[in-house]
Amino acid sequence: MYYLGVDVGSVSTNLVLLDNNMIVVEKIYIRTRGSPIKAVQDGFKILKDKYDNIQIGGVGATGSGRHIAATLIGADAVKNEITSHAVAALEIDREVKTIIEIGGQDSKIIILRNGVVSDFAMNTVCAAGTGSFIDRQAERLDIPIEEFGDYALNSNMAVRIAGRCAVFAESDMIHKQQLGYDKADIIRGLCDALVRNYLNNVGKGKEILPKVFFQGGVAANKGIKTAFERALGLEIVVPKDFNVMGAIGVAILGKEVAEKEGQTNFKGLNLADSIFESNSFECTDCSNRCEVVKLIENNRHIGCFGDRCGKWSNRVKAL
Amino acid sequence: MKITAPHLGNVYIAAQALFDGLGIEYIVPPMNNKEALEMGSLFSPEEMCLPYKIMIGNYIQAIEKGADTVLLPGSCGPCRFGKYAEMQMNLFKKIGKEIGFIVIDSPGDIGIKELFKRINRISRNSKRGKIGQFESLLKAVKIMNILDEIEEKAHYLAGYEVTSGECKRLLNSCKREALNTNNPGDMIRVLEGYKRKLDNVKIDKGRNPIKIAIIGEIYTIIEPFSNLFVEDKLMDYGVVTKRRLTPSWWVKDTLLKPTKLNSLKLKRNAKEYLALGIGGHGRECIGEAVLAHREGFDGAIQIFPLGCMPEIVSKSIFPTISKERDFPIMSLVVDEMTGEAGFVTRVEAFVDLLERRRKNVLSRS
Repeated sequence: MYYLGVDVGSVSTNLVLLDNNMIVVEKIYIRTRGSPIKAVQDGFKILKDKYDNIQIGGVGATGSGRHIAATLIGADAVKNEITSHAVAALEIDREVKTIIEIGGQDSKIIILRNGVVSDFAMNTVCAAGTGSFIDRQAERLDIPIEEFGDYALNSNMAVRIAGRCAVFAESDMIHKQQLGYDKADIIRGLCDALVRNYLNNVGKGKEILPKVFFQGGVAANKGIKTAFERALGLEIVVPKDFNVMGAIGVAILGKEVAEKEGQTNFKGLNLADSIFESNSFECTDCSNRCEVVKLIENNRHIGCFGDRCGKWSNRVKAL
Repeated sequence: MKITAPHLGNVYIAAQALFDGLGIEYIVPPMNNKEALEMGSLFSPEEMCLPYKIMIGNYIQAIEKGADTVLLPGSCGPCRFGKYAEMQMNLFKKIGKEIGFIVIDSPGDIGIKELFKRINRISRNSKRGKIGQFESLLKAVKIMNILDEIEEKAHYLAGYEVTSGECKRLLNSCKREALNTNNPGDMIRVLEGYKRKLDNVKIDKGRNPIKIAIIGEIYTIIEPFSNLFVEDKLMDYGVVTKRRLTPSWWVKDTLLKPTKLNSLKLKRNAKEYLALGIGGHGRECIGEAVLAHREGFDGAIQIFPLGCMPEIVSKSIFPTISKERDFPIMSLVVDEMTGEAGFVTRVEAFVDLLERRRKNVLSRS
């Protein structure tokens, strides 16, 4: 029996396949590129080619696109990223006390005590210091994102970069770069600034105890990891599957739910061949003017999102 | 004279009753919507707080429906709200739209004479006698109080209801029906009817739902559009919510302010962490958090608009309260964003966290 976890994030869509012992058999990382439905389908295509005849016993969906993904694939568990990340980390190590998770648009800190989430915080309004900002800077400096962190490690001195706001940070970087500072030093400065910002903003008032896990796409960045180690004076552990931890966690949750229910809602890997269409319209029945999204699979209406009163979303549940 | 007033939760229902009673035409701006927000942000200073922007949108949409005078409670308060009236008058002058403003400030700030003069600008349009006018005012206040009671009850019972969604449905149809009446007396009868209906909602007393206090900046917690309907969402999750700051609370607090006897309980509870008023409702927010903990709530959600100074101060005090009392408090900042994904994630995760804490020894007994 296999279990599937789907994490539809702002930047990437991750799929993982776990076996009976919760070992990752397959992980697929796809850029979401603004179309979560297509990303999920692309992932399913890859899975279908490789594992056409396997039995999937439970499925979970997480990430900011979890609701649309859940309708699409028929998920057993739909859980937010925080719980999913915590579940995955605890599966690896029961001793984890702090999880630093930085993704494309979100950064969070999760505090665990005795194997349970006791507190968490997320970035408030702005996404400064998250993956997409680093992505953009790498692009601007013409450095492949995979090597971005290594640059920081080659520097001996950090140039101070303003970290409070991405806009400030970027103009500060440009000013320093035009003054002739070394690229590596600027990148290290940026890593330090992002970590400083994270600890002051997201991590404010939280007791960061070891073991500290660093998860999410940004954990690939060695520069940020080292900056965290320097700032905290603690060893930071980046788990092997750091970039798909959310998907792993929700696959485990999907297994739990499916076992409890005695069956799975999974619609099968053939989904890859379905034709999905999404139409959005503004409901004009009241002054709320909800933007409703209608999801259509092979000309069959499978779900609606975005209405406040439940008139549209409940209609599909009844079908 | 066609009067309008910015939206604040259910106040428009009471306002409608008041002006129906006075026999003055009242224009309810269309319920807060994206267009109002868009127009508001177009004309407002970029760094201004969210309530201001939505209000401007309300006025513009009300002008389109024929309104010519805005009625606005002032505060001369030590937060930006105190400057709203002046700034908004200026703004309308600049964009060349004709609209009058009647600002009701507390007599402590403008003197009782000036206050009566301003009230007279409204009341002279009413054909009813002084006593009749006073009666209408009392009825409107009563309506507001009942509405707040109904809302509080619905938010409480949502955690215990047997048929999920019943309280939310009752609450919504209550507002709709109340608006369809055309005199205050009828409206009170409708509301009393719904109060009884809520009392008869089938509940499961054995349930032990998660309880969350909604605290923070008064406009953004009362006006559901600005907080992306967080209370409705929590009702859907079957969570009990309580919000102390209501329009009725505000009226009582403002009336009692000169005597310094307002919100004593909140002040007393805030004292340990914040002994001074720092503007807005910063001190009240701290008091509410402490009180929520004392009353056995599982956690609190603080909501405030980006850049709200008093709430930023209270936000920075919360980690201490959280730590000392082992009481989770989550802060949510609202601004022009209407994309709900991130917001829902945070609220959901918070409810999840509270549930998991309970199952574990970590939670308070």
